Amino acid sequence: MTLDWWSLGLQAVNVLILVWLLSRFLFRPVAQIVAERQSEAGRLLDEAAEAKAAAERVRAEAEAARAQLASRQDTALRAAEQEVAGVKARLLREAEEEVRQLHERAEQAQVARQQAALALVEERATRLALEIAARLLERLPDSVRLSAFIDGLLAGLDELPAAARQALGAESAALTLRVPRTPSAGELEACRQALARALGREPELKVAVDPGLIAGLELEGSNAVVRNSFRADLARLHRELSHESA
Amino acid sequence: MMHSPLISETLFQLGPLPIGKAVAVTWGLLALLAGGSWLLTRRLRLRPTRWQSLLELLVAVLDGQIRDTMQVSPAPYRALIGSLFLFILAANWAELIPGIEPPTASLETDAALALIVFVASIACGVASRGPAGYLRTFAEPSWVMIPLNIVEQLTRTFSLSVRLFGNIMSGVFVLGIALSLAGLLVPIPFMALDLLTGAIQAYIFSVLAMVFIGAAVKETAGTHPASKE
Repeated sequence: MTLDWWSLGLQAVNVLILVWLLSRFLFRPVAQIVAERQSEAGRLLDEAAEAKAAAERVRAEAEAARAQLASRQDTALRAAEQEVAGVKARLLREAEEEVRQLHERAEQAQVARQQAALALVEERATRLALEIAARLLERLPDSVRLSAFIDGLLAGLDELPAAARQALGAESAALTLRVPRTPSAGELEACRQALARALGREPELKVAVDPGLIAGLELEGSNAVVRNSFRADLARLHRELSHESA
Repeated sequence: MMHSPLISETLFQLGPLPIGKAVAVTWGLLALLAGGSWLLTRRLRLRPTRWQSLLELLVAVLDGQIRDTMQVSPAPYRALIGSLFLFILAANWAELIPGIEPPTASLETDAALALIVFVASIACGVASRGPAGYLRTFAEPSWVMIPLNIVEQLTRTFSLSVRLFGNIMSGVFVLGIALSLAGLLVPIPFMALDLLTGAIQAYIFSVLAMVFIGAAVKETAGTHPASKE
């Protein structure tokens, strides 16, 4: 057995060169790329953790914003409900007020219509009374429509204040004597004598025929009027009825 | 291979250097392994290809073996152990190529490999423990053991080379005899067996190299900065 020391040395050198070459071209690059991948994986994990943390923060912020939004929404909803309730109450008040006013106006209108109807009825009743009185008087003698009212006219003169009666008697102008029909000479003379007794002197009379009197006499001076006729009586009754109904 | 395996056959003379078949095949394997490594690792990416994944798996398994066997960080020993394994595996399997004699069937190659492991264990021991500390390991557990420890260092290196040489050389012989006697088909089971034997021997040589180097650095392995990985 011989050992070739040259070959042994060459093989040792060859193996050492191979060790260097494989270290240079195989083990070191592969280990380096593995280390780089591990480093990259670690970096990516760190970034993923950071991104996850950021996402958690964003989610928490979103949750807070959503809660705040919900709170605002509730607040706005409550405010809207309160506003609607206020508007509803105001509208109800206004509607009630309007209804009340309408009701009042309707009642006023109803009262006005009732008063108008009552006035119309009274007017008709007055006309009916006048017509009835006129028809009833037609059955009486015409002398009654005039001479029967002389005493009443004198009573009216007596009721005047003394100063007014004296002023009426002292008037220089003619006194107007309203009659429902043309009086006869006797009736006119009776009137003149009766007035002379009441006034203290014989007055100058100007006869005015007014069928509207129906029956009676009315004496008119410049400052005083004495009425004793159905028309005056009916007018007084009408006023009294009107006051009672009001 | 019908000549004596104990005699190195010279192919040509390179100056004063006799270049044998084992040296020539070793150069070829060296070029193949280095060139293949360059081709495979020139475009490494963070997103690995199939070949890159295979290389990374190889390195990861190698690192795991070193870490489990030596109990240290694998980085300083990765190139040496990995290169020994790949070279021995490639050399053993080179037998399957017709006309190629595996370099590991040559005693000079195996002796050179064992010599490298021997020197590496001493260098790593000295680097790890210091010269005095490394020398003190020969006196453990007592100074009486110094001769035995020295003999152990030499004999285990010798056994390392002879084990590999014997296994590979015998396989080559068996295959040569089978080829000469039975033609083409009969040697196929022997070739498959040689593939298994070659892989096992490469693994055994690498593991023993790790054990020897690890024993040299083992005392301080617990305090090695990288051993905390």
